[in-house]
Amino acid sequence: MIYFIWMILAQSYRLIVTIHDWQLYHVVLYGVGAYTSGMLAKNLGVPVFAAIPLGGAVASLAGVAITSVLLRTKGWGFYIATYGLAELIRLSWMKFRNPFGGSTGIIDIPYPPVVAGIDFSARIPYYFFSLGVMLIIMYMLYRLERSRIGDSFKAVSMDPLLAASTGISIPRQRLLACAIGGFFAGIAGGLLVHRLGAVDPKLFNITTMLYLLIWIVVGGTNSFWGPVLGVSVMYSLFELSRPLIQIRPMFFGIAMILVLLFMPGGLEGMVAKAAVRLRRLRGVQTAEAE
Amino acid sequence: MLLEIKDITVHYYKVPAVRNISITVEDGEIVTLIGSNGAGKSTTLRAVSGLKHPTTGEIRYKGQRIDKLPPHAINALGIAMVPEGRRVFPQMTVLENLLMGAFLRRDKNEIQKNLEGVVYRHFPCLKERRRQAAGTLSGGEQQMLAMGRALMSAPKLILMDEPSLGLSPIMCGEIGKIIKDIQTEGKTVILVEQNARLALALAQHAYVIESGDITLSGPAKELSKNDDVKKAYLGG
Amino acid sequence: MNSQLLLQTIANAGAVSAMYAMIAVGLTLAFGVMQMANLAHGHFFMAGAYTVYALYALHDWPFWFAVAGAVGIGAVIGLAVERGIFRPLRGDVVGGFIATAGLMFVFEVFMGEVWGWGHMRQVPSPYMRAVKFFGASVSFQRVIVIPFAIACIGGLLVFMRWFRLGRALRAVAQDPEAASLQGININRMTALAMAIAGALAGISGGIMSTIYAVTPALGGHIILPALIVVVVGGMGSVGGVTLASILLGFIITFVTTLVDGVTAMMVSVAVMALVLAIRPQGLMGHVVT
Repeated sequence: MIYFIWMILAQSYRLIVTIHDWQLYHVVLYGVGAYTSGMLAKNLGVPVFAAIPLGGAVASLAGVAITSVLLRTKGWGFYIATYGLAELIRLSWMKFRNPFGGSTGIIDIPYPPVVAGIDFSARIPYYFFSLGVMLIIMYMLYRLERSRIGDSFKAVSMDPLLAASTGISIPRQRLLACAIGGFFAGIAGGLLVHRLGAVDPKLFNITTMLYLLIWIVVGGTNSFWGPVLGVSVMYSLFELSRPLIQIRPMFFGIAMILVLLFMPGGLEGMVAKAAVRLRRLRGVQTAEAE
Repeated sequence: MLLEIKDITVHYYKVPAVRNISITVEDGEIVTLIGSNGAGKSTTLRAVSGLKHPTTGEIRYKGQRIDKLPPHAINALGIAMVPEGRRVFPQMTVLENLLMGAFLRRDKNEIQKNLEGVVYRHFPCLKERRRQAAGTLSGGEQQMLAMGRALMSAPKLILMDEPSLGLSPIMCGEIGKIIKDIQTEGKTVILVEQNARLALALAQHAYVIESGDITLSGPAKELSKNDDVKKAYLGG
Repeated sequence: MNSQLLLQTIANAGAVSAMYAMIAVGLTLAFGVMQMANLAHGHFFMAGAYTVYALYALHDWPFWFAVAGAVGIGAVIGLAVERGIFRPLRGDVVGGFIATAGLMFVFEVFMGEVWGWGHMRQVPSPYMRAVKFFGASVSFQRVIVIPFAIACIGGLLVFMRWFRLGRALRAVAQDPEAASLQGININRMTALAMAIAGALAGISGGIMSTIYAVTPALGGHIILPALIVVVVGGMGSVGGVTLASILLGFIITFVTTLVDGVTAMMVSVAVMALVLAIRPQGLMGHVVT
């Protein structure tokens, strides 16, 4: 379940990374989705399946708002400022007990209803529901990357000046990436909150963001399969290392640093290299056979 | 022979910018590399200064191989560079810029003598403006500052990359005169120029580089009479 | 707010400003020289605090010897991080940034494992006296950081202006390639910058250890305001960052006293957003093209 949510987060984050806007508010947008969806369902009685996409929409708006303030800030200042503004949102959840419930958060958030005889509040149906949502989102992102929009994102990240000279509006593309990425992060938040039935600001702190970065960096960001690998391998390790909960962050921190230093393409890069080598090896063998 | 460049090839990413180039520089002469934009002149100079390492071939200075040394170590051997685009430190004063040129020298008196006796003599305007931030100087003054900064290390060999770029004709003439003066003081100069007329007038030896290869070389006087050179670089 | 509380708050704000200034100046110096910055810088501060705790509170060293130890530890950590992370990743801004994010985890766990999780380590104050002025009493321990910050930052500015190595630091920050052509070894300068940054974080952490509860989470708490100060002041500008420290030190202290700490952080982030919306390069930053 959580694995699907991580996958959505990682894939939507990678979309933003393809335009080279590494930001530190993605996890907070996930929180915005969770809070919005949870509060809509609990306080206004919006049906859960309508509240989740609405949460996505609000998260998308929040992402666009943050990035539009910082469009002209470059490099390192941009990363820090995204962290700061994310904290602003998160701290406001802690600060305003009404309506956000302060640091203890919100409880008694409605579970999904029974639809067509399937009780989505139960574990197994919800599992398949999330799986379905994840697959749909992944398919959409997969197609998006191969569309004109995906190409223009890559053009911007590779050579902004050249991209601008071919008529691509860089600010508009960056905001578009934020809007799409933020929407899916918000959906992930909605999926989380209607399963947990509760939400609190601690779920979305910088530590969670760092873990997201670790999954992405270790997996590799060059292709669609990087985050898939990163989340699959690292999240499994994360779960397996539960008994070592206290020193776990150190392990993952070191893993990320080592990957950055010695494996710039991440796991995905390594697999790609191995595949090339394997193919070459096979090519040699078939050539010899002939 | 002061400097010998032997068969070097330099790559940018995977593209070779110069291929198997050989150049020799005798003590006390001005050698110029001319050629059009992107021909590989600057790349050659960057290889000598250590900013870019050649992938094959070797560079020898006074017989010692320097093609694997970092730029600061090459500076320490007595090779100074006046980089393309001047590259002064914009938020430092003129005087501070000049003192950076003497970074590796420890003797304060010697530095002071060099400053007054060499740099301020060639460039009196730098003395007037010594407290001004370098970024506020005009293009010509910045070029003089970059040359003064290179002289501050008391080098044997000076590499100059496009010193006339973006300057007025009068300023070009002045820079040319100073380069000649520097030579008469016993320094060796490698001059990379797009302004071939100026370069050939100053230099004893010249090399013509076209898309990464040396196509012509010889005494500067002869080259300036060569028809191809005239047509391509001297405007007929 | 009565006049006594006002004066006390001003004194506290001065102390907080001084602390931010020392942390953020190191951060911005390292950023200027390497064009890369260190998210784990708050953890250098924490290392300084733990050093004083270990030497002074546990082993009865004289307080100032312990602070000197913190300076040394800070500088050594700075050098190690430069060598291990920043040097191999030079030019890769995103990579360096993310790698130090990972380093935050490493430091936090290390401190937690060595000194215990969840334990607040209280360092007893070596100076019980209070300074009295205009009828308000302010603990000596709290304000002692102010003269230190002035001395350190003043010293740094003098060093960068009048000394050969200090000028070389500025040259590298302005144009690394041109600096290397003047015979400056860039690796040595980045190491120097990180050592100074680490030492400044160590000394401020050491002095402030008597005021803050020393826990493994301290580094994470201190880094956000320090980063905001750097961004507001202008990356790479020591003067701008000092100014921003004072500005944010006062904002944070006053809002914390009048409302609460969470609101104070929110206000300071809002100030940052405002500054960046108007001047993307920060108050005194130079436009990087």
